[in-house]
Amino acid sequence: MHLTASSDLRKHTGADNDCKKAFELMRPDSNLETLMTRYQQGDFGAATDLIERISPQLHRFFLAHSQSRTDADDLLQETWLRIHKVRHTYRPGEPAPPWFYAIARHVRVDHYRKQVRTAAGERQLEAMSREAVADPGESDSTDGLEALLAPLSESQREVIEMLKVAGMSLEEVARATSSSVGSVKQKVHRAYKKLRETMSTTGFRKGQSGEIL
Amino acid sequence: MRDEEIDEVLKKAARAPDDLRPEMLQRVADSIKPSLCPVRPLPPTWVMTGGLVLVCAVVSFAGAARAGFFGFEKMDLLERLLIFPALVLLTWMAGSEFVHAMIPGSRRRISPGAFLGFGSAALLAVFAFLFRDYRTDHFFSVGIVCLLTGFLHAIPAALLGWLLLRRGFAVSSVSAGLVAGVLGGLAGVGVLELHCPNFEAAHVLVWHTAVVPLSGAVGALVAWTLRCRHRIRKQELGD
Repeated sequence: MHLTASSDLRKHTGADNDCKKAFELMRPDSNLETLMTRYQQGDFGAATDLIERISPQLHRFFLAHSQSRTDADDLLQETWLRIHKVRHTYRPGEPAPPWFYAIARHVRVDHYRKQVRTAAGERQLEAMSREAVADPGESDSTDGLEALLAPLSESQREVIEMLKVAGMSLEEVARATSSSVGSVKQKVHRAYKKLRETMSTTGFRKGQSGEIL
Repeated sequence: MRDEEIDEVLKKAARAPDDLRPEMLQRVADSIKPSLCPVRPLPPTWVMTGGLVLVCAVVSFAGAARAGFFGFEKMDLLERLLIFPALVLLTWMAGSEFVHAMIPGSRRRISPGAFLGFGSAALLAVFAFLFRDYRTDHFFSVGIVCLLTGFLHAIPAALLGWLLLRRGFAVSSVSAGLVAGVLGGLAGVGVLELHCPNFEAAHVLVWHTAVVPLSGAVGALVAWTLRCRHRIRKQELGD
């Protein structure tokens, strides 16, 4: 009912892309749960809606942890294949974002382990760690988030990603990372401490309109 | 710099457009379309947990029925009233943890390692409270037999539990293996409590309780080995 109303509204208002995106973000998260239930029932429309809504967030999540866009694309595709394979493990009524992120995290960890196994992977990791200590202020604002999170450890980065980019609650992040709320809070606290130090030492600041300088 | 300012910087950076190509999304949708069919969601947690407790009870009773209920016959009412409800409670908790380990994004109340510690400590507390015979006759020879008996019953219980939850998906297979091992170990302890008439405190505290960490460790090791083998096979197929 809500979905029909929202799609009608979008049709009639004829909003541009930005407005549509904002509208999507404003829709209550419970819609994800409804879409997931319909996806389990074999509704292709619900599946494509989910792909459109979740993929940008997941792509962002992978970009913050991988060196290249190609890697992030591959991981996203791999995640959707996994999601499709285990879609029966989602239980109606449960929050959907932690379920998606738990699977995405599993795919990412799998990929990371595979990289570590190979010599090429080891070289890439060296490059990655060099990137991680690089000055975040050096990056331009388009990949600002990745640059901002670079000094953080893997676990801190993923927690900040989920909280600030995906807009998940502490409880949902705890579910997605198979940990307790207390542990998530601790990681966030440490991440903020590190971010504060990095931003202070590098003179990280915002312009008048709020852009990152 | 204040937390609110960091928040603002992060939010602004997160708002930067993500250039995810529409063809990519189309490719994902096309790849799932051919195999899209209705699926049956997993049953509620309590149903699966109940099934796991039942499996453990059946294994414990079957094992004791084969070997004899000598331990149960020798116990007084207080011992029966404390040991078996404690075992059922711990088995329920282990079953619930196992179910959560097999469902992505589930709420975890306690980590598998912490649960192993908690379960072992709870058993030790109950046994230490009930058994006050501090002799140590044939400590190793009798103890090893009990440990092996418990462990051999833990294997079928863990395997049947795994079979029951085979439709689940473990995002951390080692954690799931550890909890499955602990669950099986508790079934093994159940067999020993029903069967073993040796009530020496040291024997029960060491050898009966040791079944739980041993099974948990073996469960985690098996899961880790399977994961490595699976990855190697995937790599070979990829190459």
